[in-house]
Amino acid sequence: MRESQTAVLERGIRVEDEFATEPFEVAWAGEARWFVQFLEPGEEATVTLTPQVSADGLAWVDHEAPAVKAAASGVITLPLRDFGHWLRLVVQRSGGRTAPLARIYLALKE
Amino acid sequence: MTTSTSTPDGDLGSQLRDALRSTDPALSRFNPLRRILAHDDFNSGLHGWVELGGNYNGRGDYDSLDRHFRDFRPPQLSSCDFFDVGTHGAMSGTYALKLATRPHPGHTATAIRRLTMSGRGLLQIEAYLAYKAEATVGPDAVDGFGDMAWDGNQHPSEAQFGAFTVATDLCGDGGLRYHTVARYQNADAEGRMRRQWMYPVVPEPTPREHYEGKVDHPYAADFTAPNPEDWRAYGDPQELCMNEVPTKVNWHYLRWVIDTDARRNVELQLNDRTMDWSHVPVPPYEERYGSLENLLNFYFSVRTLSGQRNFLYLDSVVISADW
Repeated sequence: MRESQTAVLERGIRVEDEFATEPFEVAWAGEARWFVQFLEPGEEATVTLTPQVSADGLAWVDHEAPAVKAAASGVITLPLRDFGHWLRLVVQRSGGRTAPLARIYLALKE
Repeated sequence: MTTSTSTPDGDLGSQLRDALRSTDPALSRFNPLRRILAHDDFNSGLHGWVELGGNYNGRGDYDSLDRHFRDFRPPQLSSCDFFDVGTHGAMSGTYALKLATRPHPGHTATAIRRLTMSGRGLLQIEAYLAYKAEATVGPDAVDGFGDMAWDGNQHPSEAQFGAFTVATDLCGDGGLRYHTVARYQNADAEGRMRRQWMYPVVPEPTPREHYEGKVDHPYAADFTAPNPEDWRAYGDPQELCMNEVPTKVNWHYLRWVIDTDARRNVELQLNDRTMDWSHVPVPPYEERYGSLENLLNFYFSVRTLSGQRNFLYLDSVVISADW
């Protein structure tokens, strides 16, 4: 059996403008997928999801996978391979009058 | 001061168990009671250790979670990677379970293991653990904090680590619920070194008490016992092996025994110090709880007071019982 883990990196965060998820160690994993689920959508708001990687959990750089831009509603997902031993997700919001409420999962598998 | 609960009683069965265990590199580092309920080596996954999540309503509404229960962070399978040495690795193999706080004063990270009791009597948890504050790099980082200034031996990160806790959530015999709790308070919010074992004299506030309007604690409150006046110091301070900088990991042996028949603490061991905890009070909830018959939960937590991320690493854990 392949090891796996689903980590809930944010259980309910207001996406005001921009934030990064907490550093998460993923050395054991070969594949990952981010899920950003909007519990309360942001009317007329869009979000940009940028996956980042790190060798030490301190210094961060964008992953080669392209950022995903989408309306702040429903579920947005982003797959990743060939990452280092730490992952985080940068979420940027643009537009909209209210801050959407989001849950963020990181699904990992060997 | 020292009681003896887990040493062989001299009968042939105990001698055989000890002899067999001594040939097993994974178990011979432990001293379990007769029945091993769990042996969790984190090279093979999470073994059921999960973020302590608060209770929520039938719709899963985020707002129905207690504010101080909403953000206890998911545990990580850590290879103990650091900026200066790369992969440190665990005591056995590459991976340890890591609890990591946010960089927010008072924030707590947890991992809980959920079982039930098939008997009553002695119950023991053993672990090899290490604790660290997150390393800092760059010209903007502080070179001193509280009692600790960099002098080639001591490092400010030692004073930036707040506390780690091992505790239970137990219930049975008609909904009688109680916690046993042992906390190592390393430093206070100002970085003054305490190195003090602590215990609370009140039970942990529950989501039902919040639902009933009896309590309402803010984000990053100390969920185990929010009022600092409800904590007591146990004995003299104990100095542990933080080992100078935040990127050296030395594994400490923890062994903690409780008695679920008498609903009391028994003894606590950290490395070469064994402490009689039989007089440490275990206050039960006055009201009975449903849905929890024979509840047997252990949790570890780590709490930052400085606001620097704090980490608790667990190489492996053994839970055992004498029933």
